[in-house]
Amino acid sequence: MIQAHQLSKSFKAVRAVKDVSFSAPNGEITGLLGPNGAGKSTTLRMLYALLKPDSGSATVDGFDVRENPLEAQKRLGVLADARGLYPRLTSRENIRYYGRLHGMEGEALEKKMDELFALLEMREIADRKTEGFSTGEKSKVALARALVHDPQNILLDEPTNGLDVMSARAMRQFVSRLRDEGKCVVFTSHIMQEVAALCNRIVIISRGEVVANGNADELKRQTGKETLEDAFVAAIGSEEGLLR
Amino acid sequence: MKSIWVIFQKEVLDNIRDRRTWMTGVFWSLFGPILMGAMIMLLGKTLTRALDQTLILPTAGAENAPNLVAFLQTLNIEITPAPNDPKAAVVAGDINVALIIPADYGDNFSEGKTASLQLIYDSTRQSAATDIERAKTSLEFYNTYISALRLTARGISPEVIRAVQIKKADVATPQSQALIFLSMLPYFIIFAIFNGAAPVITDATAGERERGSLEPLLINPVKRGNVALGKALAAIPFTLINLFITLAGFAAIFAILPVEKLLGIQIGFNIGTLVAVFLVCLPITLLACAVETLIASFAKTTKEAGSYLPFVSLIPSLPGIALAFLPVKPALWTMLIPTFGQQILINQFLRAEPISAINILISALATLLLTAALMFAAIKLYEGERIIRG
Repeated sequence: MIQAHQLSKSFKAVRAVKDVSFSAPNGEITGLLGPNGAGKSTTLRMLYALLKPDSGSATVDGFDVRENPLEAQKRLGVLADARGLYPRLTSRENIRYYGRLHGMEGEALEKKMDELFALLEMREIADRKTEGFSTGEKSKVALARALVHDPQNILLDEPTNGLDVMSARAMRQFVSRLRDEGKCVVFTSHIMQEVAALCNRIVIISRGEVVANGNADELKRQTGKETLEDAFVAAIGSEEGLLR
Repeated sequence: MKSIWVIFQKEVLDNIRDRRTWMTGVFWSLFGPILMGAMIMLLGKTLTRALDQTLILPTAGAENAPNLVAFLQTLNIEITPAPNDPKAAVVAGDINVALIIPADYGDNFSEGKTASLQLIYDSTRQSAATDIERAKTSLEFYNTYISALRLTARGISPEVIRAVQIKKADVATPQSQALIFLSMLPYFIIFAIFNGAAPVITDATAGERERGSLEPLLINPVKRGNVALGKALAAIPFTLINLFITLAGFAAIFAILPVEKLLGIQIGFNIGTLVAVFLVCLPITLLACAVETLIASFAKTTKEAGSYLPFVSLIPSLPGIALAFLPVKPALWTMLIPTFGQQILINQFLRAEPISAINILISALATLLLTAALMFAAIKLYEGERIIRG
């Protein structure tokens, strides 16, 4: 369960995020949808305690990210926008590193990794150095290391970015699966079809502000439009579409 | 605390796999000893060539002074015909020194007037210094000899023209040149330490950000201070290896080269010195890791970090270079300056001078204090938001 309350963040003169509030319950996928540069990644960065909000607050399973960042981080699994791996380490070593930083060790850690390798269909690349991996392979390793400690809350920043059709589809299926396991999943994307297909709730962010919040029907009703796509465009207030 | 260990282990493994980088580091650690060895051999050659060898003295107008030529020959000097333009030849470095005996030399000499000779040389040329000196003294010797003979012939004691006799006690022997080189040894040692840390630290901080792996790393529930410490500590094994290789290299050079024969000085570089120098340098390895962590976390990219770090390894070694030319006594204040104190101590070890334990302790404490301050600043940088974006 993740709750954001009136989060704001400025970088020098630019107000990147203004009073963003939403709540992401367990067992649901909450989509943050918005054009590039709308403030989605900045919002996530405040949720995983990488950036301190100028004002407002956020909690992860009740732990305030400002007051208690380590406790919040323990309960989070994050696929960040930056998903760099260590090219001289194998997939397994990359993931083991994160598991150990979460306090896991030995047999339990190795078992959990094997589970993830099976689940993400990456057994073949498990013991290869990650140098030269394809974008899809890299995404799998990054996802596995984010989930190795079995977090209750999962933040995915544009997880299908750069993936081919099949990999993106597999990623979406995996995300649905996490929801079915009762996890709290927050998902950002600038692709409305993807958000429409996956998410239980949609938070539309434009220019750093929440402009609409609800499920697909609620969004259509709020904007008075027939289709979700028209609803998005109306909410963002631009006919140029999402890629402003 | 355990997270520091986890980060340390990962960084060490990662950097060990980066074979080409640390192999280059090893080469640089041997650079000092190899350079020093080459310098000792070259210097040794110029020093030992000195007296037992025949001095070749190109002379123009040798026929004007057969007596002088005969005298010089008894001093193991070989008179050869001078080139057409002796000045140009000296300037060009073809010959070290040339003697010109003017045509009127013989007449002046026979009449008992002062007969002039011209010696051509370039006093700035180090390699010619022994030849020049020898030509000068030989000619002066001849001058004194003839003067004495003339006075005796007139029934006057030669002592009349020798109001004062200077007995030379030159402490600045040619060997002091060798000691200058020896004083540069600490410079190479410190250089090796800083060079050992630089690639590891750069890769672990600026490199991590450049790869886009810093942000995911910092999402893990680990105190930022522990991340900074783990990364800084991971460079220590590499600095220790470099330090060891450098010292072993110097030990090998001093063992293989007949230093005593070449330079005429003894260098106390046995196992005991090796261990002592190694121990004295330990605080410097920590300092190197701290200072480089601070700089590399400040730099935006590895390229930027790479442009700062050579300076960083140069600065602590500057006192060492100065030390080569301005010998400093091991006073208390010098021990308070990190790396400077150690350089003086290393020099003392090499010359087998008595060393005060307090000096060792103070230099170590001062260095550790600065290390702590720098590491604190690095941790503060890690705790800020700037670390993510650089």
